[in-house]
Amino acid sequence: MQPAPVQLSVRNVTKSFSGKAGEVRVLDDLSFAINERDFVSIIGPSGCGKTTIFNIIAGLIEPDSGAMHFRGEEIESLRGRVGYMMQKDLLFPWRTVLGNVLLGLETRGVDRAEAEARARDYLKAFGLSGFENAYPKTLSGGMRQRVALIRTLIMDPDILLLDEPFSALDYQTRLYLEGVLKDAVETYHKTVILVTHDIDEAVALSKRVVVLSGRPARVKIVHDIDIGAASPIAARGDSRFSGYFHALCAELDIQTEKTA
Amino acid sequence: MTLTLPGTSPVQKRKARRSRRRAGFDTPLGRTVLQAAAVIAFFAAWEIGVRMGWISAFLVGSPFGIFALAYKMIVSGELLSDTWYTLFEAILGFVIGTIFGSLLGLALWYSVFVARLVEPFIVAINSVPKIALAPIVVLWFGTGLVSKVALSVSLTAIVALIAAYQAAKDADVDLQSLLISMGADKHQVFFKAVVPSTLPSIIATFRINVGFGLVGAVVGEFISSQRGLGHLIYTASSLYDLDTVWVGLFTLMIMGFVLYYVIDLIERTSLPWKQSGITHQVQV
Repeated sequence: MQPAPVQLSVRNVTKSFSGKAGEVRVLDDLSFAINERDFVSIIGPSGCGKTTIFNIIAGLIEPDSGAMHFRGEEIESLRGRVGYMMQKDLLFPWRTVLGNVLLGLETRGVDRAEAEARARDYLKAFGLSGFENAYPKTLSGGMRQRVALIRTLIMDPDILLLDEPFSALDYQTRLYLEGVLKDAVETYHKTVILVTHDIDEAVALSKRVVVLSGRPARVKIVHDIDIGAASPIAARGDSRFSGYFHALCAELDIQTEKTA
Repeated sequence: MTLTLPGTSPVQKRKARRSRRRAGFDTPLGRTVLQAAAVIAFFAAWEIGVRMGWISAFLVGSPFGIFALAYKMIVSGELLSDTWYTLFEAILGFVIGTIFGSLLGLALWYSVFVARLVEPFIVAINSVPKIALAPIVVLWFGTGLVSKVALSVSLTAIVALIAAYQAAKDADVDLQSLLISMGADKHQVFFKAVVPSTLPSIIATFRINVGFGLVGAVVGEFISSQRGLGHLIYTASSLYDLDTVWVGLFTLMIMGFVLYYVIDLIERTSLPWKQSGITHQVQV
């Protein structure tokens, strides 16, 4: 099998923030590559700068040094081309479900009728028909995060940046949404970078897991996950699952001992 | 099948809960009855006090005198003309001041530099008791309608400005980041994230500002005017005509009361996403 070509490469990125206690180096010479249609999870100790990486890729903050290449071309950021999803669903409370889904297309200036037709198709595909005119506060946490996922996918982004998108949900809803996400990624042929605290989730969903060291963040090791199960729940039942799980736990444990 | 234990049937439970409410007065009708009773008792005590000579009718007036006079003034059209005049001044001042102040406050979101630059000036202007401007405003804008509106604007604009600016500053940064990651420019962030999230705060200032609008109109009329409820109250009190003063005051009270509920209605209909069908209340 031919390895997939590299889609996004991040090279030697450094970022420091100046705080009260002086300069804090969050990312130090960080490099990694994401392949076409990859599903990469990034795990690491909390506060190690995972969200900073996303903010740099999404163009919300600028790195101090380093470069990014997208399909071989040097880029400043992927602003406008990423689908960013965070732990908070960040639905706009004054917009209905339909209005929220339309947000990105409006920003892009897509024709209203066309955008609405597309939005209704997506809502239908994700089982949210009939909720078009509901306000977010009337929906359950799982439904809200599903709307946020649709809002992300409808933009047809090059890469999905998922920053602990399910960590605020209960376990059953999380399992369900992991399945929805996995199906959606297959259906729409998306590349995903997932930041998570949940090793279990990382193993169940990913093709590769990147383990970061504590601050400043460097890539410690990259694990290929070779399960290839049909669903995240099936993956958890795979005989190799616990092997990966323990290997990753061990990586993180060593770090906590070091940093403690 | 439902199990019913003795003494815990749903019907009895509901009855027990209802009996804890003060004898059925904790209903919309019950509350209205109590409120009306309080008002009647107040006026009755006042009238009796005056008739028995416990309090001086010369200094406080008397309810019967007030009602009789109010009726006469309504029939002659005098009261309505003054009421409309003051109401018009107050609403005009409120609308102009609120729009002007809100737009300015929102605009400050665009430039952190300008906002920081003008912040001390806003605080300085806000710390002047605006009522103290009344004599100057009359000098500048004359004794007619314009000076009252100007005074109302000076009172309401600064409140709206500060509220709008503060709300724009507090607008959820994550929502703005999300829009930026989608490729939105600054104007789109402003109109799609900042402005809608400030609306509840801006509308909340309506409640305060509608009162300030009235204050501006009435104080303006006190200083110098030929018409309006403020003029009515001021001239009557200088003649020790307390009944007329009370008619003016009660009319102002009713006006403020009605305006409050109009604002309440605007608030409820303009922000449907804020409304929920269920109101949660904790029983203590």
